[in-house]
Amino acid sequence: MSTRGSAIFDGGRIVPLLILIAVVLALAGAAEFAPTVVQRRITQGLINLVAVVGLYVFVGNSGVLSFGNVAFMAIGAYVSALLTMPAAAKGVFLPDLPAFLAATEWPGLAGALAGGAAAALVALVAGFPLMRLSGISASIATFAILVVSYVVLGNWTSVTGGQNSLMGLPIYVGLWTAAGWAVAAIVVAFLHQESRSGLLLRASREDEVAAAASGVHMVSHRLAAFVISAFVSGIAGVLLAHFLGTVRVETFYLDLTFLIIAMLVIGGMRSLTGAVAGAIVITLLTELMRLAEIGVTVGDMTIAAPGGLGDALLALLMLLIILFRPNGIAGGREISWPFGPATPTTETQPRKPQ
Amino acid sequence: MTDHSDKPSGDSLVEVCGLVVRYGGIAAVQGVDLRIGAGEAVAIVGPNGAGKTSLLSAIAGIVRPSAGTVEVSGRPLAGLALSDVVRQGIALVPEGRNIFGSLTVMENLRLGATPRRDASVAADIDRVFADFPILGERRDQPAGQLSGGEQQMLAIARAMLSKPRLLMLDEPSLGLAPTIVDKVYELLGQIRAQGVALLVVEQNAARAFALADRACVMSRGVFTLTGTPEEIGRHEAFDAAYFGVAMTPTAGAA
Amino acid sequence: MMGQAIQVLVDAVSVGGLYALTALGIGLIFGVMRLINFAHAQLIMIAGYAVLLFFAQSAALAVLGAVVGAVLLALLIERTAFRPLRGADPATLLIASFAVSFFIEKTMIMLVGSRPKGVDFLSALARQVEIAGVRLQLLQLVTILVSVVLLVATTWFLKSTRLGLEMRAAAENFRMAEVLGIRANRVIATAFAISGLLAAAVACLFVAQTGLVQPRMGLQLVIIAFVGTVIGGLGSLPGAAFGGFLVGVATILLQALLPPELRVFREAFLFLAVAVVLVVRPQGLIPARGLKERI
Repeated sequence: MSTRGSAIFDGGRIVPLLILIAVVLALAGAAEFAPTVVQRRITQGLINLVAVVGLYVFVGNSGVLSFGNVAFMAIGAYVSALLTMPAAAKGVFLPDLPAFLAATEWPGLAGALAGGAAAALVALVAGFPLMRLSGISASIATFAILVVSYVVLGNWTSVTGGQNSLMGLPIYVGLWTAAGWAVAAIVVAFLHQESRSGLLLRASREDEVAAAASGVHMVSHRLAAFVISAFVSGIAGVLLAHFLGTVRVETFYLDLTFLIIAMLVIGGMRSLTGAVAGAIVITLLTELMRLAEIGVTVGDMTIAAPGGLGDALLALLMLLIILFRPNGIAGGREISWPFGPATPTTETQPRKPQ
Repeated sequence: MTDHSDKPSGDSLVEVCGLVVRYGGIAAVQGVDLRIGAGEAVAIVGPNGAGKTSLLSAIAGIVRPSAGTVEVSGRPLAGLALSDVVRQGIALVPEGRNIFGSLTVMENLRLGATPRRDASVAADIDRVFADFPILGERRDQPAGQLSGGEQQMLAIARAMLSKPRLLMLDEPSLGLAPTIVDKVYELLGQIRAQGVALLVVEQNAARAFALADRACVMSRGVFTLTGTPEEIGRHEAFDAAYFGVAMTPTAGAA
Repeated sequence: MMGQAIQVLVDAVSVGGLYALTALGIGLIFGVMRLINFAHAQLIMIAGYAVLLFFAQSAALAVLGAVVGAVLLALLIERTAFRPLRGADPATLLIASFAVSFFIEKTMIMLVGSRPKGVDFLSALARQVEIAGVRLQLLQLVTILVSVVLLVATTWFLKSTRLGLEMRAAAENFRMAEVLGIRANRVIATAFAISGLLAAAVACLFVAQTGLVQPRMGLQLVIIAFVGTVIGGLGSLPGAAFGGFLVGVATILLQALLPPELRVFREAFLFLAVAVVLVVRPQGLIPARGLKERI
C-alpha cells in the first residue's frame, strides 16, 4: 500500500488532483459572496460535477459509454429519501410503505452512504452478467438498466410514490456540502484511475488486442469501475434529492442522462480533468443561457433569447466537440501547473510496474 | 529491376515508391519500392508479421500510407476513394476471402462486376459457371455454405469480374487442402496467361515461386531480397531471411 | 369471447406492424454503419409536424409532406453529422447519434414549444367496421395493410434491385463492399432515405391513431422498437423487422394477459429481455449471417 501511495506522490502525478480540488474549493468560495440565486446554481453545478465524475469513473476508464448512471442517481435518491424522510411526511406521500421503512428516520450522511451503497449493489448485480459484454452491446445493456429503473421506480407506487413527487425530504445540501462531496468524488475517481485495476482498464481501452488476451480479468476490472461509478452517481442522486427537497422519477431519465453525458463529452471523457472541466464550463454556460432566456429589459422592451435555446445549443456544442475535438476541452490530458511540463495521462506514459 | 529512378516505361502498371505504413507507433511497412509491369506475376513471401498484408492493403487503398506513393499507370492513388481503386484496374482477394456469406453465389459474382457498365457481365458470369460447375449448381445458395476451396474460387472469380489489370491475392492457399491449392494455382496460371498481372502474397513460397516471374522476400517491413524465383531459391540468405526470427533464436538480431 | 380474442389479435398485429417498420428503419442504418440512430425518433417527429402543417389542405399532401420532411432530415443528418464520423469507433458514433437526436428535439421545442397539438388527420379511419361479426377499427386494418406493403416493398428493394444488393453487401462487410467498388456514400445515403420513408409512414399512422403531435412523439416508439432490433439480431434486417413485430405483439399481449398490477411494468420486462438476449444470445433470434464484426 505504501509503495503505491508513494508512487502517486512521486513525479507530480498528484498535481492534477490538487489542482482540481483547488478549483472546486475556489469555485465554492467565490459562490459564497454571490447572490443566493447564483449560489444555488453553483451548488447544483457541483452536484452535477459529482454525477459527471461518477460517470467518468466507468466511461473514461473503460471506454464504454454508459446510459445507466442516471438510474444509479435515481436509486441513490430514492433510497436516501426513504431512509431520511420524516415519518410524518412518509405517512402523507407513502401510506402503503412497509412498516420498517415507514418509521425509519436516519441522519443525512447515513442515508447518503446507504443510497450510494444501494446503487453500487445494483450495479454489482446487474454488472456481473452485463460487464462481459463489450462495445455497443455493453452500452445497450446500460440503456436497459436506465429504462428498467425508470419503469420500476415510476410504477412501484407503494414504495416510491410512482409518478408523484416525494416531498418533505430534509434539505441539508448547501454549497459546502456539495463542494465537500465534489472533492470526495474527485479523490475517489483519482485513486481509482491510479490504482492497478484502473490502470489495467485504461490500458485495455487503448489496446483491444491486449484486452482480449487478458479477457477474464478485464471483466472484473470493468465491473469494479462500474460499481465505484454507480456509488458516486448514487451519491450525486442523493445530493440532488436533498438539495431540491423532492424526488420525482421524471427527473432521472433521458434529459438528465443527456446533460451528464454532454458535460463529460464536452469536457473530454478521457481524463478526470475533462469530467470536472465539462461540469463547470457547462454549468456556467447554462447559467448564462438561462439569463439570456430571461432577457434584458431596455426601457419597455425585453430582449430575450427563445426558451429552450440553451438546451439546443448544448446539444449542438456537444456535436461540434465530437466532430472537431473528439477528446473534449481537456484533450485527454490531466491538468498541470500552468508553467510546468504537461502531466501525461496514464495511457500515453504507463507507469512501470514496481 | 526494382530501380524506380528511371522513367516508368509504357508497360509499367503499378509503381510503389518509398511506401511506409504505420499503425500507431508500429511501422508495419518501412520503405518499400515495387514496380509491377503489365502482365507480370510477382510473389511476395516472408514470415508472419513481415508486413505483407499491410503492403497489399496500402496498394489496394484500404490503409493510407504514412509515407511514399502508389501510382497506377502513372496516376497516384492517394486521395482516391477506396471504391475507386478497383476502377483503376486493381482487384484484391483479401486473406480469408471475404465473400459475402449471407448473399448467394450469384449475388457475390454480380457484386464483383460493380465497376462495369458494359452489357457482357451476364455472359462473363455464365462463363464462370461453365468453368466452375459447382458454383453454377449452387448459384442461388448462400455463399457461406460453400466449402473453403469453393469460396476461394468464388472470391477469385468475383475479383476477376471487375476485369482488372492487376489481381492481388493475400495468402490464397491459406487453410486449404493441397489438392485444392493445386486448383487455385492452376486458375491463377490461367489468369496470368490472359495477360492479367498478379501480385501474390504467400507463406507457401514454393507455390508462389512456381507461378511468379519475380519474387520479393519481405521481412520486418522491408524487402530483403528481390529477383527471379530461381535466384532467390538458390540464395543462401533466403532461409535466414525467410525464417529469420523463428529459425535462428540465437541470432543477435533476434 | 372469440370476438374479443380476434380484437386483441388485430390490435397486436397492427401495433407489431408499427414497431416492425420502426425497428427496420433503425436496423437498416445499423446494418450499413454500425450506428444506433437515436435520431430516428426525430424523423418520426418531423414527419408528424409535416402532417400538422398540411392536413388541413389534404390528407395526400400531408402524407407527401411527411415523407419529404423525414427523408430530407435523414439525408441532412447523414451528410452533416454521420458522414464526417464514418469509421469512428462505435462509442463515438453512439454519442454523436445521441447528440443529434437531442439537438433536433430541443431545437423543435425551442421553435414550436413542447405542448402537444391536436391533428384531425384521417379521423374517418377511426370508425369501427364489422367483419364477420367482429367489430374492428378501420385504422388498425389500414395500419396492418400499410405495414405489410412497406415490409414487402423494402424486402423487394433489398432483394431485387442493384442498390439493395449493394446495401446488403455493405451491411455484411462494409470494407469488402468498398474494395469491390461499391460507393459508400450512395449506399449509406440510400439507407438513410429509406429509414426516413419508413419513419414517415410510422408517423402518419401514429398521428392518425393518437390525433396528437409533439416534439417528443417518436421517442417512446423508437425506444421500444429498438428492443426489437436487438432481440431480432443487430445487423440482421429480417431480424429487425421480426423482432420489432414480436415486441409490438408482446406489448399488447402483456397488456391483455398480465394482471393489472404488473401491466405497468411491461417495458421493464422488455428491457430485461434485451439484457438477457445480449448475454445469452448476442446475435439475436435471427442472426446476421457472416457478420464480420460481432458486437
